[in-house]
Amino acid sequence: MTVTDTELVRQGSDRTTEYALQVSDLRKSFGGVAAVNGATFGIEKGTITGLIGPNGAGKSTVVNLISGSITPDSGSVKLNGEDITGLEPHEIGRKGLIRTFQISREYPEMTVLENLIVSAKDNPGEKLFNVMFRPKLGKRRDAELVQKALETLLTFGLYPLRNEYAANLSGGQKRLLELSRAVMAEPTVLLLDEPMAGVNPALIEKLGEHIVELNQKFGTTFVLVEHNLEIVEKICSEVVVVALGATLAVGTMAELRKNKAVVDAYLGGDVHERVGS
Amino acid sequence: MTVILGYAATILIFFFTYNIFTLGLNIQFGYAGILNFTVITFMAVGGYVSAVLVMPHADTANGIYYILGLGLPWPIAALGGVLASGLLGLLIGQIALRRLRSDYLAIVTLATGTLLYGLAGNVTSMFDGWQGLFNVPQPFAGFRNWTPLGYSIFFVIMAGIIFGLLWLFANRLYKSPLGRVMRAVRDDQDVVEAFGKNTFRIRMTAMVIGCMYIGVGGVLTIAYITALSPAGWTTGETFVVWAALLVGGRANNLGAVVGSFLVAVVFNESTRYLPQMPSHPNLIPDIRYILIGLAVILTIWFRPQGVIPERKNTFYEVPLGKDVNAKPGQTSLEADLAKVGE
Ligand SMILES: Nc1ncnc2c1ncn2[C@@H]1O[C@H](COP(=O)(O)OP(=O)(O)OP(=O)(O)O)[C@@H](O)[C@H]1O
Ligand SMILES: [Mg+2]
Repeated sequence: MTVTDTELVRQGSDRTTEYALQVSDLRKSFGGVAAVNGATFGIEKGTITGLIGPNGAGKSTVVNLISGSITPDSGSVKLNGEDITGLEPHEIGRKGLIRTFQISREYPEMTVLENLIVSAKDNPGEKLFNVMFRPKLGKRRDAELVQKALETLLTFGLYPLRNEYAANLSGGQKRLLELSRAVMAEPTVLLLDEPMAGVNPALIEKLGEHIVELNQKFGTTFVLVEHNLEIVEKICSEVVVVALGATLAVGTMAELRKNKAVVDAYLGGDVHERVGS
Repeated sequence: MTVILGYAATILIFFFTYNIFTLGLNIQFGYAGILNFTVITFMAVGGYVSAVLVMPHADTANGIYYILGLGLPWPIAALGGVLASGLLGLLIGQIALRRLRSDYLAIVTLATGTLLYGLAGNVTSMFDGWQGLFNVPQPFAGFRNWTPLGYSIFFVIMAGIIFGLLWLFANRLYKSPLGRVMRAVRDDQDVVEAFGKNTFRIRMTAMVIGCMYIGVGGVLTIAYITALSPAGWTTGETFVVWAALLVGGRANNLGAVVGSFLVAVVFNESTRYLPQMPSHPNLIPDIRYILIGLAVILTIWFRPQGVIPERKNTFYEVPLGKDVNAKPGQTSLEADLAKVGE
């Protein structure tokens, strides 16, 4: 089954209550390169949605546009029905949309535990006034956050490394750290840009399980940019295909494999090998 | 004996003021990663403004010009100087911290510093131009009938107390959630921003606090020396503070103190005893800069984190009440590590 253009537009702009994220006709050019050229899709609340496409399709740029790292030339982004186009990244982050980066970006000179604690929202100790006159507020919140971070690290298998500098973690451990750090921020929407890049198959499986668990436990909506289609097929209820900066198709992995345009643009000849049966 | 004590007092005051400069720069660079390449400008602004607030009206009949001349009590004037430094930091921050990456920030601060240096020198009506301010009244000088040594000792104690308070606050800030998020900004600003934190505000806070610290150092400097002219705050002085911080160890306040002791006190004072060569009056200061440069190179080569590196922060942990060692897929080494952590 393919999704027609009109259906895409409908999903991108209507039924505001059901969508965590609505991206409408987003465009962004860098010089002469139209990196994103009319991307339109809607992400239903509480789902895990894949965002796939060839290298250079504009996936990371879409993530950057949604999260406010760069401002679009045109088009709009709605978070839970509210227009967030053009807001500062921190304003969007505060509204509950947290994104990760394609290359893992930990705080290298802080410990694993600190990486988590610092990522929680609304620590009263981050206000200068409180540091000066009410230091207890920050201390109390810190004490809570330490315990929450330890629990989280235990879940993610990073507990033994909690007092290690994040710079010293392996590539896979850094991916786990990024996900556990995001958990601390209690996001409603989590945008993960290739969270499994450079990770061994066993850990990919584990990361996938963590994502599903977080989705079920907290109802977090996930958008997963990923080249590993096996895991996408496994955990994503719906997949958005982006090519040349525009939405090419939306559907389940099984549907997409039968979509000629998608196969031509991305899945290619080795579709069966990559996707499995 | 009196001479030695007086000398020791002067060195101590010098040491305390340098500590305050390095603490201020540490808050900016060590905590928040802000490249402030015009530390000395904030020192000068703090010093000048406190001076023109405490001094009487300018004696224009004798060719001495400066603004204000309000003759305020020293504590109020000192506060004014510190606030002026902070305000200048706020203004520069508005330009430099908003969108610019750290390398541009460095250039903006350097350019602003050069600009203000030229202004202070050439606009005579402000702080008496290249001649600078002199005969600045000393704090609490009329309090009692001080002997010169007695006053020096009093000043040491006062500077020491001020340094102590600033030291305590710098450490409180470091350990606070605000200090932590500053360090996160230093490590990766974009990520902090993505986590919903206003990194502009965080960096601005570090910038202004740091500038106010440096301003305090400036206020104490002019109060003790009783004079300040542009020759006393050339661009090179900024890099002495930087050298102190880098040699001592950034993001560690003890490192900042050790660094300012090594760089500002040891090098400064040891070069003082080199034989003067009348034909080369600049030789000694030049040797001082060469030594400081060498110290920085050696530190970066052999001990890039400084003599006293940033400490690892650990937290009080309430045991989780679970078998933390029994995680599937954990190596025995990891389990052992976990046990050690309990
Ligand atoms: N800041 C930029 N300046 C110039 N061109 C850019 C910039 N960012 C992205 N592009 C270009 O936009 C296009 C889309 O890039 P993007 O990183 O979004 O692709 P992607 O789908 O994430 O690819 P990948 O799967 O390789 O990560 C590419 O042609 C890229 O070169
Ligand atoms: Mg990408």
